[in-house]
Amino acid sequence: MATSIIEMSNYSLAPYGSGHGISGFYFALSTGDVCAIEAQHPDDANDFLRAVATLTRPIKGTYRYEGKRINLKSYKDMLACKPKIGYIAPDAALISNLTIRQNILIQRYYFENDLTIDLDDKIQSVCDTFGICSKLDKRPAELNSMETQMAIVIREISKKPSVLLLDRPEDFIGHAKFDILVEIFNDWIGKKKPVVFLSYDRRLIRRFANRKILITNGALTTVDIKRSNGEN
Amino acid sequence: MERVTGYIGRKALSSISHILDLFAFAYRILSLALARPKRGRTLIARVIVQQLYFTAVQALPVIIPIALLIGSAVIIQFAKLSGQYDFGRLSVLLIVREVGPIVTAMMVILRSATAVTIEVSYMRVLHELDAMEMSGLDPVRVVCVPRLVGITSALLGLFIVFDLVSILGGYALVWLVTYIPMGGFLYQIAKAISVSDIAVGIIKAIMFGITITVTCLYRGFETKRQITEVPVATSRSAVECFLYCLVINAFISIIFYM
Repeated sequence: MATSIIEMSNYSLAPYGSGHGISGFYFALSTGDVCAIEAQHPDDANDFLRAVATLTRPIKGTYRYEGKRINLKSYKDMLACKPKIGYIAPDAALISNLTIRQNILIQRYYFENDLTIDLDDKIQSVCDTFGICSKLDKRPAELNSMETQMAIVIREISKKPSVLLLDRPEDFIGHAKFDILVEIFNDWIGKKKPVVFLSYDRRLIRRFANRKILITNGALTTVDIKRSNGEN
Repeated sequence: MERVTGYIGRKALSSISHILDLFAFAYRILSLALARPKRGRTLIARVIVQQLYFTAVQALPVIIPIALLIGSAVIIQFAKLSGQYDFGRLSVLLIVREVGPIVTAMMVILRSATAVTIEVSYMRVLHELDAMEMSGLDPVRVVCVPRLVGITSALLGLFIVFDLVSILGGYALVWLVTYIPMGGFLYQIAKAISVSDIAVGIIKAIMFGITITVTCLYRGFETKRQITEVPVATSRSAVECFLYCLVINAFISIIFYM
């Protein structure tokens, strides 16, 4: 039986934007899960992703990470599980008074207590693949939106999270670099790490998703699906 | 009549609740500052140095001329009013005890408190604080603690600079246009300054530093996620900082000098 990494029980989210909110749902994310979200209102899908990342507090409900209950009223408690969750979404941000390099390394600066460390070879090669090596010592305001989003992807991947949450990844990496996105997904699925994503690109859903999260009229249900082997 | 009473009551309760929130926030930041966990010390030390540079070092070209002007004005007026033999004591009374702390606090509010509020408000609106949390960093520890230490230390240093420049520098300016014997002036200053004056100065600087930092950070963290709320938060924080500093100044002066 797959181990639940994240478990949200009796969870209710208040309406957000033009959404209905989601009431009294149960959701468990286990190793090997690749979940695609389909929602009546995009705001419900965004809010659900933020709730999984513990960025949105519920009206009620219990959140467990690796079996341990997280006190949602204590941000210190939530800080213990947040670094293990990679969150790539339009509302993810870089810290504007740090350079891109410092943004990617800030977690290591903090936990290793050393400001002289630099990017390791693997992250450097990812920066090279995304074409932002020359921008690493610039501040986020000096980058265009696509470069900023790529930097966010690199930062989240460099955290080595246990769970990856993606909101429209095709917009982050760009349709021209779809093959890089496929490579990232393949790499994650190969390591059996769970992914939850919202995408309007049917190719991603058909190719990778083995579960669907359906959010309609304030209710959430999950459905197991068979993945197709081909790209289209 | 009932509506007016109700309105006054609600406003009073809201103000008390706000003051209690500030105390709770101050307690949170101070407890983190005193706990000093090992993680993140290097990063936090760098932010403290940056804050010290911005608040203290970059403020020197502004505060030194102001101190000179105020010091020379006070010395000239008292030399004419009270006669030369007592003006050193009067200068100390005014500058060291009252004018120095308030003017220094005002400079720090105008420069640093507004900047910190704007910075933290933008971090909140643009989800940068969320980004920090998602990296496992405690925003209160990484953002608030270094600013508290930096601004309070800077205020103490600026206060000392203000007093020295206004008294000695003010005297030097006045000496150029009048003749006031330096020996007599310095003797009066030395006689006038007591240990309690120095202690009061240090207490006021620390209290002002904590008050200004906690207030501007609170307003920054409390900003709603709309860009138009940033200037509102900034003006509120500047006005509140100034008001609280005046109240604390009066309170400390009453305790120590009455």
